[in-house]
Amino acid sequence: MTSQVSHNAMSSSTADSASGAWLAYSAGLPVMVGVLAVMFGWHIAVGAKSLPLSTVLNALVQYDPTLFDHMIIRDLRLPRAIIAVLVGAALSVAGALMQGVTRNPLAEPGILGLMAGASFAVVMAIGVFQTVPTVWLPWVAAFGAMVTAVVVWLIAQWAPGGATPLTLTLAGAAITAFLGALISVAHLLNQETFEQLRVWLAGSLSGRRVDVLSVAAPWLCLALGLAMVLSRKVTVLAMGDDVARGLGVRTGWLKVQVLLCVVVLTACSVALAGPLGFVGLVIPHVVRLFIGSDYRWIVPYSALVGAAYLLGVDIIARLALRPQEIATGIMTAMVGAPLFIHLVRQRAS
Amino acid sequence: MRLPGERLSLRLPVRALVLALVLTLALGSLIAVSLTIGSYDMSLAQVFATLLGDEVSRQMTTVVWEFRFPRTLVAAFVGTMLALSGAALQNVTRNGLADPSLVGISQGAGLAVVALTVIWPDQSSALRPWVAFAGSLVVAALIQGLSWNRRGGSSIRFILMGIGVAAFISAITSALMTYGQIDRAMSALAWLSGSINAAGWSEVRMVTVWCAVLMPPLLILSRSMSALQMGESTAVGLGVRASVMRYALISVAVGLAAIATAAVGPLGFVGLIAPHMARRLARSGVGLHLLLTALIGAFVVTLADLLGRALFAPIQIPAGLVTAIIGVPVFIYLLQRTQAKSAL
Repeated sequence: MTSQVSHNAMSSSTADSASGAWLAYSAGLPVMVGVLAVMFGWHIAVGAKSLPLSTVLNALVQYDPTLFDHMIIRDLRLPRAIIAVLVGAALSVAGALMQGVTRNPLAEPGILGLMAGASFAVVMAIGVFQTVPTVWLPWVAAFGAMVTAVVVWLIAQWAPGGATPLTLTLAGAAITAFLGALISVAHLLNQETFEQLRVWLAGSLSGRRVDVLSVAAPWLCLALGLAMVLSRKVTVLAMGDDVARGLGVRTGWLKVQVLLCVVVLTACSVALAGPLGFVGLVIPHVVRLFIGSDYRWIVPYSALVGAAYLLGVDIIARLALRPQEIATGIMTAMVGAPLFIHLVRQRAS
Repeated sequence: MRLPGERLSLRLPVRALVLALVLTLALGSLIAVSLTIGSYDMSLAQVFATLLGDEVSRQMTTVVWEFRFPRTLVAAFVGTMLALSGAALQNVTRNGLADPSLVGISQGAGLAVVALTVIWPDQSSALRPWVAFAGSLVVAALIQGLSWNRRGGSSIRFILMGIGVAAFISAITSALMTYGQIDRAMSALAWLSGSINAAGWSEVRMVTVWCAVLMPPLLILSRSMSALQMGESTAVGLGVRASVMRYALISVAVGLAAIATAAVGPLGFVGLIAPHMARRLARSGVGLHLLLTALIGAFVVTLADLLGRALFAPIQIPAGLVTAIIGVPVFIYLLQRTQAKSAL
């Protein structure tokens, strides 16, 4: 992934200052990968029983099925860490793409209602068919996210002034409230079926759905790759539709591609970990503080920082109130909501 | 000052008054119907006889006096309080989308009550309304501080800020519930989605006492509300001490929402729906508008509670979920009508 992006960057960066920045940014990527690796190890080491990092490393490199600690790591903690990495990367990249294409600093799969749509579709499918084959789970979620995205956009479009960042966000919040109420009703009507979904609906990595992981991971990685490919055009689109069209970008087609990419990323994340709000809002904004507005860099950095962030948040969620575990979605909201408020405030001045 | 308007407004209060009468009758019959419906069926005549003190059967006396009647009363009072709170908030913020649950005030009360239950589980009932009031007051001050800027607030921005604050507070509430290990208790979950299931005479007492305390100030303030509606500078010109009025009104609105939340949990969108519906149905002065708003609020929540317990009986759907399902389409409709200039 890294080499492909740097190749693109090399071919287009001509000015000296740009190549200087390019050097700094590409040097930053391995550093971030290192940070991510450390967080990954730490995430696995921490838990009800703390394990030394050396044991973690051993379990990953030379797995010994007779050792109990190795079994914990392989069967319980490793899948959770992998899910955190994938979901963190997917949500952050989805948020970055949405912010770029809609030129809306508040855009994020959770805030614009896509997550609620995906959760609602999954809940309904399980409610109607009792069991949904795991293979279909991401697609059911994707269908819900897609429909919700269109509905939210239409509501905002009809509002006076059109689909401004604020009307879009408000429409997303309204749809989220509506679907949330319907999900709760479905929950109350069919408590046995939904008891297993309760933890998932709060946004949690504790489900350790290894079967879902094997289904969703390939699609998620594919969508991340597509995001990387699209990132150059998204940078142009972020300057405005007219500029992009003048530079030869087919804006309509690009928006459809980005929407598909965002929907798949959101759906896979929701299928894996339930709705984790505000991740896609926080990370691209933090990344942009350091990287600027070039999506060729924002996308890969968002993926890395987002993965490391979700690992960190999940560590806190497991440690803060030991022996209980806070749902990870609660933690991401606690961090993300203040930033959201700050961004809304900023829009006025 | 009232001369130019008087000629126009002469005919309209008649309609509003008739409407108030109709609404009162509708509310009365809804309450009566709501008393007959449930897992133990009774006829209207039996309900009336029981209410008047005749003992038709012991079971009926228990069902009506211990379960259905207090519950219906709480629903009606809570609806009134939330509707009036919404009307006052919309007036003060001059924002048609304001509602105590949308701007985080209800969630503030919810957080305070959950915190009280977790930290001092023994004495929750007596302190509850005070703590709820303190919690929502803090949130109201927070939002006021956050949305203050020199250019004056835009209504959508104000609501978005409230949504952010509400999300943050809800997260803290959930974390507290995890900490106190009450997140598994169904009662806490039901309370957080606004349920009148558990309401009894103690809730009735709390709600009526606080209604009696908070209504007179609201009525006194209603005169200056009509001046505030025309904008702050106009109000000042008309001799209203705008900033004092504003704080007084916000306090009353917060108090009403806090008590309602302390009694049954956060019920969304009632404060949004009722004032708009009242304005739609009849144009009237502020006082009559408040009366209509209160009646509609009581009607909506009583109906929501009835639907919630009757539609899927024996499963009870919390009234808060019903009001959310009804309220969101109304919210979206109102969003379409919000002035473009206030959309930033």
